Amino acid sequence: MPVVNERFEPLIVAFCCNWCSYAGADLAGISRMSYASNVRIIRVPCSSRVNPGFIIRAFQRGADGVLVAGCHPGDCHYHSGNFFTRRRLTVLKQMIEYLGIEPQRFQVRWISGSEGAKFAMVMNSVAEEIRLLGPNRKLRDVR
Amino acid sequence: MAAVIGWRKKDFWWQSPVVFLEDPAAAHRLVWDPFTVYSPVKFLLEWQASCAAKVGIFVKGCDSRGINRLLQDKRLERERVVVYGVPCGGKADAEKIRASFPAKGIKDVTLLGEQLVLTVGDREVRVAAEAYLLDKCLTCRHPNPVVYDKLLWEEVLPRQRADESRFARVQAVASLATEERFFYWQRQFERCIRCFACRNTCPACNCRVCIFDQAEPRWLGKANDPADTLNYHIIRAFHVAGRCFECGECERICPAGVPLQELNRKLIKDINEAYGDYEAGLDATDQPPLGTYRGEDPAGFDES
Repeated sequence: MPVVNERFEPLIVAFCCNWCSYAGADLAGISRMSYASNVRIIRVPCSSRVNPGFIIRAFQRGADGVLVAGCHPGDCHYHSGNFFTRRRLTVLKQMIEYLGIEPQRFQVRWISGSEGAKFAMVMNSVAEEIRLLGPNRKLRDVR
Repeated sequence: MAAVIGWRKKDFWWQSPVVFLEDPAAAHRLVWDPFTVYSPVKFLLEWQASCAAKVGIFVKGCDSRGINRLLQDKRLERERVVVYGVPCGGKADAEKIRASFPAKGIKDVTLLGEQLVLTVGDREVRVAAEAYLLDKCLTCRHPNPVVYDKLLWEEVLPRQRADESRFARVQAVASLATEERFFYWQRQFERCIRCFACRNTCPACNCRVCIFDQAEPRWLGKANDPADTLNYHIIRAFHVAGRCFECGECERICPAGVPLQELNRKLIKDINEAYGDYEAGLDATDQPPLGTYRGEDPAGFDES
């Protein structure tokens, strides 16, 4: 019998920095909080490790939304990485919007290692926003 | 000095490509006419990689900012280059001339101050130059070289129109609704044949190995996929963000007419608005805006 899936389940790629956001995800897990299962976490050493190319590539290969999460400004474990991220991804986000892609599809948030509840909340709200937007067709490979 | 890089005249009136001259006796082949628009700056990289001798180069205002670009990116040894600055009153657009005059009759085109003098058949026609200049020259803010060893003649005045029209096209595109904007860009990018001319001519695109040429990891598929083309244009524009100095060669050289300046200027506009006015290529010692930060920078996303 064919499976009828009436609800669209988005695929969200979350780049999480090893020191804060990934620890935040861990805290959400060990505190047994449940959050949207649409999120696939990719651990990076620092949010500034995220090359804008990674983000575009994730969209091309089927992500419906991309989230980059890092330490709060000033808390970067490499001293200043997330300050560069902030400039770089602010510019990238505005450019993606300018090219006609819904800006909600690409999000950046600061989540510290002690913010397990915030991690779960952000993942839920991002998943909900992208569910409403529907599948990403604009940046996706046709292959 | 083993050679000079300048421009020469080719067979047709609209052709003034870049030339390397090694023989001083051939110096009379160098020209300066309304079509010497090609940027000679990128050739310096190949020259310095293959030859230890000094080289001379003629630069217009826009090209000179390319020299600063390469210096700032530490891709050029300044002491091995002699820069001849040429103040430039703007370059003519052969397409605009062809649209108004029978192309076969044109023998010669010269720029005299604000007038364009055309020899059509055996008569001479004088027209106001502004209507026949390249779009990128009409919005040029620095017609005079900003770095040079020797200036060839007196500096010229920048055009009045340059400031007001700088971001006009960006604003027009940005005012469209999200879906319209997407289809606008799809229509532009679907013409792209990925010849990489925009990258090849751009002095800001000076990486030793370009990610689009890399086999492993391969960032760009070989198939003609609209998402790949969009990927190319996002990454190309982003790699020159904060470093693009608006010479407009990418857009002019594009065989498909993709309005690349609308992308470059969008980034310049956003960076200026968020992180303070910055003009790339004016000073080889300063720090491009995406290579630095301030603690109190604004963010374009939820920072709570």
